[in-house]
This record gives sequence, structure tokens and C-alpha cells, in this order.
Amino acid sequence: MKDISKSINKVDNDEKISGSAKYIADFVMDGMLYAMTKRSTISKGEIVKIDYPQLPDGYYIINHKDVQGKNVIKVIFEDWPVFTDKKISYLYEPIMLVIGPDKNILTQLLDSIQITYKEETPLFDWTDSVIDYHFDKGKGNRIFDQADKVIEHTYHTGYQEQAYIEPQGFIGYPEGDKTTLIGSIQCPYYVKNAVKQAIGEKDENVRVIQSTVGGAFGGKEEYPSLIGCQLAVAVKKIKKPIKLIFEREEDMSVTTKRHPSKTVFKAAIKDRKIIGLKAHVSIDAGATIGLSGVVLSRALLAVSGAYTVDHLDVSGNVFRTNTVPNGAFRGFGAPQMFFAVDMFVEHVAKELNQDPLEFRKKMLVKQGDRTSTNGLFRDPVLMPEMIEKAIKESNYLKKIEDYSKKGNYKGIGMSLFYHGCGFTGSGEKDVIKAKVKLKKDKNKKVYILVAAVDMGQGVKTTFRKLISHMLDIDIKDVIYHNPDTDFVPDSGPTVASRTMMIVGGLLARAAKEMKKRWNEEEFIVMKEYEQPDYIEYDEKHFIGDAYPAYSWGVNIVEVEVDPVTYQVDLKKAWSVYDAGKAIDERVVLGQADGGLAQGLGYGYLEVMNHKNGKIMQKNMTDYIIPTAMDLCDMDTFLFDNPYAYGPYGAKGVGELTLIGGAPAIAKAIENAIGKNVFKIPVTPEYIMELINHD
Amino acid sequence: MTEIKFTLNGKKQILNTDPNRRLLDVIREDFQLTGPKEGCGEGECGACAVLLNGQIVNSCSVPLANVDGQDIVTIEGFSSTKQYHVIKEAFAKAGGVQCGFCTPGMIIATQSLLSENPHPDDYEIKIGLSGNLCRCTGYNLIIKAVKTASKDGDGLW
Amino acid sequence: MKSYIAKNLVNALEVLNKDECEIVAGGTDMLIQNRSHTGMSIGYKTNVLYISLIKELDYIKEDSHYIYIGATTKLESILKNKITPIILKKIIHEMASPAIRHTATLIGNIANASPAGDSIVGLYALNAKVRCQCINGERIVPLHKFIRGVRIIDLKFNEMITEVIIPKNDFSSIAFKKVAPRKSDAISKMSFVGLLKIEDDLLLDLRIALGAVYITVVRNKDIESKYIGKNIKELKENIDNILKDYEPLIKPIDDQRSNKEYRKKVALNLIKDFLLNV
Repeated sequence: MKDISKSINKVDNDEKISGSAKYIADFVMDGMLYAMTKRSTISKGEIVKIDYPQLPDGYYIINHKDVQGKNVIKVIFEDWPVFTDKKISYLYEPIMLVIGPDKNILTQLLDSIQITYKEETPLFDWTDSVIDYHFDKGKGNRIFDQADKVIEHTYHTGYQEQAYIEPQGFIGYPEGDKTTLIGSIQCPYYVKNAVKQAIGEKDENVRVIQSTVGGAFGGKEEYPSLIGCQLAVAVKKIKKPIKLIFEREEDMSVTTKRHPSKTVFKAAIKDRKIIGLKAHVSIDAGATIGLSGVVLSRALLAVSGAYTVDHLDVSGNVFRTNTVPNGAFRGFGAPQMFFAVDMFVEHVAKELNQDPLEFRKKMLVKQGDRTSTNGLFRDPVLMPEMIEKAIKESNYLKKIEDYSKKGNYKGIGMSLFYHGCGFTGSGEKDVIKAKVKLKKDKNKKVYILVAAVDMGQGVKTTFRKLISHMLDIDIKDVIYHNPDTDFVPDSGPTVASRTMMIVGGLLARAAKEMKKRWNEEEFIVMKEYEQPDYIEYDEKHFIGDAYPAYSWGVNIVEVEVDPVTYQVDLKKAWSVYDAGKAIDERVVLGQADGGLAQGLGYGYLEVMNHKNGKIMQKNMTDYIIPTAMDLCDMDTFLFDNPYAYGPYGAKGVGELTLIGGAPAIAKAIENAIGKNVFKIPVTPEYIMELINHD
Repeated sequence: MTEIKFTLNGKKQILNTDPNRRLLDVIREDFQLTGPKEGCGEGECGACAVLLNGQIVNSCSVPLANVDGQDIVTIEGFSSTKQYHVIKEAFAKAGGVQCGFCTPGMIIATQSLLSENPHPDDYEIKIGLSGNLCRCTGYNLIIKAVKTASKDGDGLW
Repeated sequence: MKSYIAKNLVNALEVLNKDECEIVAGGTDMLIQNRSHTGMSIGYKTNVLYISLIKELDYIKEDSHYIYIGATTKLESILKNKITPIILKKIIHEMASPAIRHTATLIGNIANASPAGDSIVGLYALNAKVRCQCINGERIVPLHKFIRGVRIIDLKFNEMITEVIIPKNDFSSIAFKKVAPRKSDAISKMSFVGLLKIEDDLLLDLRIALGAVYITVVRNKDIESKYIGKNIKELKENIDNILKDYEPLIKPIDDQRSNKEYRKKVALNLIKDFLLNV
């Protein structure tokens, strides 16, 4: 049998290269109207009065009064209104849609709607805690009684914008009693379920279809539910096709971003070793809680990084502020924590006058070790071999010795990290309950019926390849259309590095059965998620196995810092990953490059901040993502380490590749300038501060 | 309203329209050519790239007035050329396509680069792609694709 | 609002004589400044005159003393032309992506008069002048007098800039640094141009220009001339004095791209680095 990892050309190459793939903005419907959003101009307060202009014929205003169902977006924590009724909790909060055929008139109407507010003082400090988590491992805080020394440091991470190149958008239209939405989305059923609740409709009266997605990275996980609901409310009332596409500035000003964080770490030291850790993580939710609690959990669970520490005291808070809501972004809390913990362990080693690499290697997680929540790392951990490979390929040992000499401004840094694959805790079993279908028709074509979205990560190719391998049929006979909720079951959202491992795993089970029944002419196999029986997790108390499997990574990054301008020049990066088994090697290498690019950007380039609640970098000119000139050669090596429940052994890969970038480059910069780094992005401005102030 | 004449994908066109419209809107709306995309609307991302007299421009930053009498080729027009097929194969082989939103712009940038410099080195390729933002790939596989195209299509440019 | 498309210079000047217009060349900046929404026309607030198609202004030429660049000459053509001063090539190479270079013009960058306009920094250092023409005549104005402030230029309503005039000069050392948040496709946090000429160990010419550290480009001939005539050793001994001279002129701002401390420190570092490397 052929090795499944051997790369094939992606199935959607032709349509994407030729420009014929249809993204949401490319759709046009007869009689289509446009929607624009009227937004608040204050960060906190109440609407006192709205003066509407006379609406010309064929123009409409849709607001909270038109919401026939529940005026709240269905996400994990339901505190996000479809349209605000009165209360304003962040700048540019959506108040109403203005809809009609001519954008020129729409912009005039938007300008002539007069809203009077009673303004209140907005809260930007992190004082309003809305979620408070705490758990211990081993002796918890009591371990500090045994310490002969305590080391404490604080780490900060900033916003990060997904910066998908295709802005958010939907087209909604009526189909009889049905309200249908086509959109640039990651999670068709999130949108469908949210819309059902907002417009108060039966299941069969809401249909959601995915258009080709021009990048998402978490940014199209929960946010599209908001604008999808707004548009559905409008379509149900107006009964015409309506298009809502964000302009870039609107997108960057109002959509969810990675949560800024602050992590305070304390290490209990005994005999020059870390015997325990205490950590507190604060994240900024923005104006609504949404997914923030789950983001915080993922950060807290990774508290000891790629290391085993027997005694932990872990706590965290989600703070609500009057700023744009933050949400999902590739990594989902893990990038914040891995930056903090991997820097901290390095800083502790340095303060104890120990070689940081040896110090870290001694602490590495081994198979059979306990996780932060006393779960088990059940599968083999290949980190020692992976680190050796990375060291050899990059010539790390020689370089770190050379670069550590003062004044050459060259640096090299290494990050060690993992990612828990799939939903945190019992999410798969209790919340998602994924279902997949495989259908065989008379012509021996096999249809993959799942709600998983190809947003560039290549799942259209890898799922078809998986099924064609398992059934031993031509990939051309495996059909996988963009998900349409009228035809596919809810296999869950396209998030959490779960797509191949969980959905692919279910498909593999379905294919196994299909293969046995292949002689039947026409049939459907359905499979539902079953949690591996060894997994038990107490979400409330943070006890047990938070993830069924872990993917692992090592990043090494080499930089040079310009002593005149303090700018960072990326020289080269090396990565070694264990993601179980690559279903397509080139697809995984593409994820590896792209994830690392985002992680590096997060670490040294991508500045975003708000001033009085207003995002200051609101376009692609001011929000700096790397260009081809900024990035460097990246060598990636994959280690096979098949996971029993993943198809062909596959684990998660998408998020893993982003996590190590920031700590690796931050350490490389530390090495180059001889100063410790405590926050990202490590901008030239920050480097100047570090160099010039002792 | 002004009469604007130009060649689009080899065909002469006359439009009686507002010269203040953006070339991108005219291409997408009047001719239903949706290969060029709007990513940023300010000449930063390159998703809207087309060839103007054979050279890459951002069609979101070109007023229609400026194309009177000029020659415009979009990805749709370019896709019938031999050069396109070499570039396409190279992108497929290298794995240079992920979400695809930047891809038509990347193809146009590649053509514009190779037509001026058929054998660019890595640095020249990076400069050639420097106005096209990609958030998925980290660029390396795209750079590899351009190198492959340059090699496989030797003599075409 | 009216829009005019001029096909020749006389045509353009006639339009300007009867109607006040914003002049659009490549349009790369004007479109962004006046952008409305996808699918909508550019929302100019005044009449516009498009000059990009005026062929007679698309040139780079020279005589024994000067280089002349026409108003519709694209950055890419300037970059590729043999007679373009090397420092200007260096700047254009870094100031914009290929797509922008194929549409944008040098004179557009001047007329835009942004403190962060990279080419302006080089043109200040090169003692460039602009030729402004109207239906009744023309005048030639030194660039540093033409640019009056942030996006303010000394252009009368019936005039247009038809060319930039750059005196020819040889330099023994040239430097340009665009300090931007990334390596391409970005607006400068600050920029630096240094030019100098040394013959027989004597400094004959020294020019330093700094962008985005004040409302207009910072160049000070009084400081420069204080050190002209010194030998290299004296010049290097005077570096601290030179930095002291420039220090009060550098008054940058905080914005979404950087902060004033950084801009100032880097500006001084770049001057120092330039002089140390003589």
C-alpha cells in the first residue's frame, strides 16, 4: 500500500489559480440589495434617541425590534446581542443595518441617522472579572514552603488580528419559508444554530452554505454568527437577497482578535531546580465574554509548557472591558501561554546560572507523565529526538555559543511546545457530538458529507485522499462539496485542530464500514463521535484528560538585530513537528510555513493596540503582517508518531505550527541583544528600550 | 459620464461611465470578471492585481480615467496563455495555494516579474512578490513556485 | 463635481484655468484618501483633473547641469533609467511595491507632501526644484520652499507641477535608510538620506535629510556648512557636536506606527552611523 503522506496536487488548485473559485463577494443575485451597518460612536453608554431620515422606496432599516427570536448570539457564553437595543458596550457596536439597492444612497442614509447617546465612562482597565478559574496540581501553592528561592516574572502579549485577506461577508436570500445564507465561514452549524435562535425558526427553515473561504484562522469561527444573524433577520423581513460584505477597515475595527494577556509566573526553586509553579493569567475579553472562558482554559492547561512540573497553582481571570470583543484565533490561548512559560523557564535557568537548554531538557514531558490537570501523556513523546534533529539541522549549539558573545547582534532561539488536539475537555462528547456521513451512489461515486470547511488548510484534498486511500478508489470518484446544512450533518466546527483527527477519524470509521459493504449498490454510512473510553475530564475542577492527544513541536529561529535601527532581520527558521502522521506531506508543510509565519509575526511584527477603545491599526497599511521580504527560509521536518484514534495516526496540525514562533523569535532577540524579553511583539521600539535602559 | 476605451483581455471595450470609478469595480461588476479580488482597497495587499500594459498594477488603486486607451489583462485573460500554464503547474507542484484569495494576484505578480526578468534570484522574487500579501503560506512555497516556473518555462519570457 | 481627463499639457492647463481641480496622476494616494466603498466611485470632494495620460510629461532627460523628470513619469521608469541619481533609485526601490511603482509618480509623491514621503527626503537632499506651470507662464521653486507643511504645498489653483529638476552632483558617499515596520509595502516610521563629497581628505559637501521626524523634511544647510571644509578626522571628532546640532530639529510624534522616542533616537543613530562610516 502507498504511503498516504506522499503528496498529491490539491484538488482545488485549478479553480483557485485561475480565479474562477467563487468567494462570497463574487456572488451576485437578481434584485440583490446591499446592507451597511450603522455603528455606535461611543464606547459605553445608552442610546437616548434615534432620528431616522425619510427612507426612499426600496430602502429598509433593520434593528433589534426586528429580531423575532432571542436577541443574542448563540456562542458558548451568550452575552452578545444581534443588535443592541439600548446599551452600548464598545465603540462601533452594531445598532442597525441600512439596506437598499444603491450604495450611494445607503451611505447618505447612514450619515443622516442621528443617534443621541447618554455617554458613560468606558472601562479599559482589567478590573471587571467575569470568569475566575483556579486549579492545583500536587501540593499547589504549599510547595513554595519548601522553596529555597522564588523567582517571579510577568509576561505580556498583545492583540493579534487574523488578517485573512478576504474580509467577512454573507449573502442571504429567501427560499420559500426558508432563510438561506451563503458566507465566508468556518462553522456552518454555528451560524445555522445561531440564526435559528435569532429569527425563531424551525430547523428546516434555516440553511447555511459555505462559499470558498479566503482565510479564516479563527476569525471566521464565531464572528460570522453575528453578521449572519443580522442578515437573516433582514432577509426574513424584506424577503429579498441581501449582500453584506465588510470593508477592510470595518473588518479590522470591529471583528474579534486574539486576546491580549498578562501572565504572572512564580517558580519555587530548590536545589537549583523548579519544584513548583504558580501562575496567574489575565485576558481581556473585550465587551462580550463569548469564547473567552475556553480561551483562558486552554492557556491555563498549558501552564507548564512542554515540561512536567509536579506542583502547580494555576489561576486566571477573564476581564470585560469596553473594547471590541476578542475571540478565536489559531492557537486559542495556547500562544499566549507558551510565550510566557517558555520564556519564564529560560529566564529561570539563566538566573540559576544553568545552561537553559540542558535545564529545559531535564524538565521535558515524558510518556506517562501527568498533565497539569493530572491527566496522562499516554502516547510516546518524541521531543528529545526532535530537539536533537533541530539542533543538528540548525547548528544551534555552535551558534548559541558564538552569538552569546557580546556585541555581534546575532541571535538564535529555541521554543518547545505542544498543542492539545481537539476540543478542550468533554466538548466533543457533550457539546459537539459530531456526526459524519459517507454516501455511495449507483455510479460508485462516494460523497463525503461533513460540515468541515476548507479555508485553505486543504481539507478538501486531504479528506478526499483519505477516503480514496481507504476505499482504494480514484480520488476523482470521491466528491466533497462545500458544506450546505441542507445536505450535510453537523460534524462540528472547523476549529481546534480537530478536523482531520476527529472528523477525519469518523470518516475513516465510516469508510471502513463502507468498504465491507461495497457490494451494496447505494447506501449511506453514518458515524457519531465516541469518546475514547480512557478520557475522563472534570471541567469544573480541571481534573483529568483535557485532550485525547497532543501534537508536539520544536522551533529554532535565527535573527540579526540592527544596532542602529533596532530592527530585526529574520535569517532562518527550523521546525520539527510530531503531528502523528501527515495525511499529505505538502499540505502539512504548507501549514507549517504559514503557522510559523503567523507565530513569528505575533512575536516581533504585528502591533495592534487601542486608544480609548478605538483600534489604531485598522488597515493593512498600519497592521503589519509579514511580506515575502520579511520572512525567511523555513526548513521543516516531520516525525511520524501515529495516534491510535486518528486516521492513519493523524493528530492536529493547524494550530501547533503557530505556537512556537513567538517564543523562538523572542529568545533569538534576547540572545542577540543580551537582554531578557518580557513582552511581544518585540518591536524595534521595545528593543531600543531594552538596550538603552538597564 | 465619459467615454472610456480600453482593451480588456484582448477585446476592445468602450464604456460610457464615471471615470472616477475604480478599475477593480469596473472589471468585477461590468464584466463579471471576479478573479481580481478586493482584500484591502488601498493598494496594499495585491489581491486585485491585473496587468496594465503588461505590468502589474493594483486595480483598486487605478481610476478608470487612467486606463483610457490602455491594455488590461486580468487573470481570466491571462489564463489562456502558455505562460499561465507553466506558472499554474508550478504553483500546484510547489503547494503555493492555500485559501486562494491572494493566488490570482500572485500569478499576475509572477507573470509581471518573469516578463521583465525571466531568471530572477530569490531576492528578486521576493521583491517581485513584495506587494502581494499572503496570510496562509508564509511565502516560501510561492517563492519555490516562481523559481520552478522560471525554470520550467525557460524561453517563454 | 466634474472630472476631466487631460491628454496633453495645454488641455490640462486650460482646464485648470477655468475650474479649480484636484490633480490626479497615478492616483495611488488620492484614491485612498478619497475612498468610499467597494463598488462606489472615488469620493473626491472637489473637481478632479486626471493627468496620467499626458504623454509629453512622461520623460526623464538631462542636460549638463540638471536631470528633469516629468509629472507623469512612473516610479518604475525612473527606477530603470540610467540617468536617475543613484540615491533616488535606492529610495524608489524601497518605497513601494512593483504594482505601486507601475502607477505612482514621483511628482505625485511631492504633491502629496506627506512627512513620511520617502522620495521627498531624497529630493530635499538633492536640492531639487519643481517647475509649476499655468496657462500664462511658469515658475521654478526649490522643493523645500514649495512644501509648506503636512500635505500643504505652494501650488496656485490654476497651476500644476510639470516636472522636477534635480541638479547633477557627484557624491563620494550616499546612504538611504527607510525605517519602516516591515521590509516592503509599508509607510516609513522615519527615513534618512545622507550625501557627502570628499576630495583629498576634505569634506566638500555634506547633506543630511530626515523624513517623518517633523512636519516637513528636516534639512539644515547651516549645520551642514559648519562642517564643510573639515577633514575626515575632524568630521569624525565632531560627530557628537553634529548630533547636538540636529537634536533640537528632530521633533517627531507618537502615532499608530511608532513613537517619538524611537524616531528621534534612530534619526540620531543614522546620522552618527553615516558619519562613522565615511
